[in-house]
Amino acid sequence: MEPILNSAPFSPWEPGIFALFAYGAWVLVIVAVLLFISSWLGEKKPSPEKGRAYESGIIPTGTARLRYPVSFYLVAIFFLIFDVEGAYIFSWAVACRQLGWAGWFQILFFIFVLIMGLVYIWRKGGLEWGPQAKS
Amino acid sequence: MLTYAAGLLMLTVKLALVLGVLLFVAAYLVWVERKFLARLQVRYGPNRAGIFGLLQPIADSLKMLTKEDTVPEDADRIVFLLAPAVVALTALLMFAVVPFGGTVTVWGREIPMVISDINVGLLYIFALSSLGVYGIALGGWASNSKFALLGGIRGAAQLISYELALGLSLVPVVMLAGSFSLVDIVGAQAVKGPFIYYQPLAFIIFAIAAAAESMRIPFDLPEAENELGAGFHMEYSGMRFGLFFIGEYVHVQVLGALIAVFFLGGWHGPFLPGPVWLLIKILLVSLFMIWMRGTLPRLRYDQLMAIGWKVLIPLALVNIVVTGAFVLI
Amino acid sequence: MTVYAILFYILAGLILITTGLAITRRNMVHTVIYLVFSFFGSAMLFYLLGAPLLAALEVIIYAGAIMILFLFIIIMMREESPETRLFVPRQWLPAAAIGLLYLALGVLLILSADPTTGEPMKLAQATPAAFGEYLFNAHWLTIEIASLLLLVALIGALHLGREGKGGDARKTEETS
Repeated sequence: MEPILNSAPFSPWEPGIFALFAYGAWVLVIVAVLLFISSWLGEKKPSPEKGRAYESGIIPTGTARLRYPVSFYLVAIFFLIFDVEGAYIFSWAVACRQLGWAGWFQILFFIFVLIMGLVYIWRKGGLEWGPQAKS
Repeated sequence: MLTYAAGLLMLTVKLALVLGVLLFVAAYLVWVERKFLARLQVRYGPNRAGIFGLLQPIADSLKMLTKEDTVPEDADRIVFLLAPAVVALTALLMFAVVPFGGTVTVWGREIPMVISDINVGLLYIFALSSLGVYGIALGGWASNSKFALLGGIRGAAQLISYELALGLSLVPVVMLAGSFSLVDIVGAQAVKGPFIYYQPLAFIIFAIAAAAESMRIPFDLPEAENELGAGFHMEYSGMRFGLFFIGEYVHVQVLGALIAVFFLGGWHGPFLPGPVWLLIKILLVSLFMIWMRGTLPRLRYDQLMAIGWKVLIPLALVNIVVTGAFVLI
Repeated sequence: MTVYAILFYILAGLILITTGLAITRRNMVHTVIYLVFSFFGSAMLFYLLGAPLLAALEVIIYAGAIMILFLFIIIMMREESPETRLFVPRQWLPAAAIGLLYLALGVLLILSADPTTGEPMKLAQATPAAFGEYLFNAHWLTIEIASLLLLVALIGALHLGREGKGGDARKTEETS
């Protein structure tokens, strides 16, 4: 679909943003109805045993909000950086024919730097998991 | 005004049909999976409810609807209650940009066989799949259970890692088609032939990343039974568990549809009408994923991350540069 | 008032409410959830202005990547809803001063504006291909510099994250 204002955005005949919102509304209604029916038909007999977190039959001790290794945080931040680079690569990809070889060399350098970054974190052990990870 | 009302009616019918088929196939995919998996393991699988156990999905959904919906004590109630809906919603909404046929003419108007052909369709799918991560991470966090939290964190880290590979593997497809619109991508393949011939490497990367995104064996670490119980949906019961289930199977279908749209020519095929071809391709991809589940052992977490970051992402990046040169020659 | 104006005000209201809720929540996971909604609203606003590519990227990068990172950091720290005030006056006083200055400037700008210049903004309509073409023709040097900047960010993040790994847990919190 073209950006709004062109080609009647509110027309139900066009496969545009209106149809997308109608579909979204349908999906919401279905999920809501499912949850409503289940809360209507379902049993409601709470007991302390049911409310307790399942730990294979052992009574849970301590807080459940564990702290977990820093590696997960590193993955999230690497993902963020690569995602931003991905946004540039996608904006190039969609126009790659019009941009020609000049654009190709620009993206070549861009991806080269990206791969250098990947190689760096790889060599430094940023992608290692488990006890054998070098620190 | 009358044409507007007629259009609204047609739209409603179309949307109801699409949703009906999506949910019906999701329910029966569970049956197919259980039956196929059972045969792979020399068992019978469900065979009590109806002939060949064909009524099993109906029995299952009735059971889920009538079960108690428990909320663990100390759970973050609202987040806990909404997280499964996020998973189901994002999976269902993703299908909105998948074209499932050409056009049909009703009352002299052409009705396109796609819900919404926005010109950033491919990015719309990535946006939704990155929002789907919240369902997993928050569902695990809100349960106030150690297993669930571990599963949620594992799942979120796995999903974001493979989302990168998934995204980068599709850049060559965008370059070949010159558009983000899924309708244009299918259209380009009708002219040039399926992109799997041009981009076998991208196809393999996408297929592996898609399998990881669906969080099934061999990539099911977020819900690894023998390590985490049930992982992020440990504390869920009743229909909320059912929503995670619906989300998973609709996601499998959508990924099958995406593989079909990006690499296998979409709804184009000889003799049969478009929607049927798309459904056949979706089912073939789903069967392949079930087969993989029945054959492969689960990966270790370090292996999982190594495949994503050290194999798929560098390969996808090199593939982009090489394809760029080929497109320009 | 056109339909678009009405949609704009609805979206703007949504963004304001969710952002307001985000900064007043004590539970930081709830803050993240409200911020996701806020970014989602901004993305719709971009779409309304005719920039679908930016709308999609807003959701993918802000709502999808940055907020996930925040969520990870928050879950990594022990307290989700601290009882005591989170920031000491030395930290929030300068922030508040800058915020007030910004607000005053905005009000001044609106008051000093010539009412005759108040014409509706031109739509920044662009197809994704046109956007990519413009970006790489006009700003390619900026993009290469951005790639170097991101490389530096990658290296910095790795070293900050590494530092806490072997050491005690408190150090991890500081680096995050």
